Amino acid sequence: MRAIGKGSLASILAMGLNIIRIVLWLGFIGLSIAVVVIPFVSVIAGMFQGFDGGDALVDGADYIQLAYQFVSLGVMLFVVTRLLEVLKTLRFGSPFVKENADRFRTVGYALLIGEGAKIAFGLLSLITSADIEIDTQPITWLAIITVFVLAEVFHEGARMKEEQDLTV
Amino acid sequence: MAISVKLDRVLLDRGMSLTELSERVGVTIANLSILKTGKAKAIRFSTLEAICHELNCQPGDILFFDEEDSAAKAAE
Repeated sequence: MRAIGKGSLASILAMGLNIIRIVLWLGFIGLSIAVVVIPFVSVIAGMFQGFDGGDALVDGADYIQLAYQFVSLGVMLFVVTRLLEVLKTLRFGSPFVKENADRFRTVGYALLIGEGAKIAFGLLSLITSADIEIDTQPITWLAIITVFVLAEVFHEGARMKEEQDLTV
Repeated sequence: MAISVKLDRVLLDRGMSLTELSERVGVTIANLSILKTGKAKAIRFSTLEAICHELNCQPGDILFFDEEDSAAKAAE
């Protein structure tokens, strides 16, 4: 399978990531609408006669869950966008640039923030009725470490490429 | 870098243009410009040999080591 061009793994990955990005944006917009609408749910429900608005009552736990979903979606959107930028440089034939090393590093930090948020919101759910599990997996931490290692590999690769380009 | 390139001076002495040298040694003008302007990180022995052959000079006529610059960088 070709590395770049039409039908290559990079172009298939880019297509898949673009679809994921659209889905994530839709999720983000949906959550934003939910944040605006939720405070009025019980009011709207009360406007309809015979409707029991008891279940529609919104409490602090719902907002904690919403905030958690915002952070999770934000991290995913950030990672997908950075990966698309990396794939773009691959399509133009030079992935070993300093910017890609920085992108991988920021992806690593974003994943760290995502996992940290999962733990923090999970702990917060213990004192509230929010339904968030603290289910951090060892494989996730291994993936985060791998991303940081990849960032260093790209950093070294960019240095070697620059040296090669400036060798007469 | 503490190593500086004085290719322009040698070219001036020999009355040769960069384009002419480029054609003679088989190195692109872009690469020779990188060397001339001191942006190069490394030079191949084969390139140095071809340049010295065409300009009838020694590597030391083209490359200079700036001791003060090197000491300043080491102190940083």
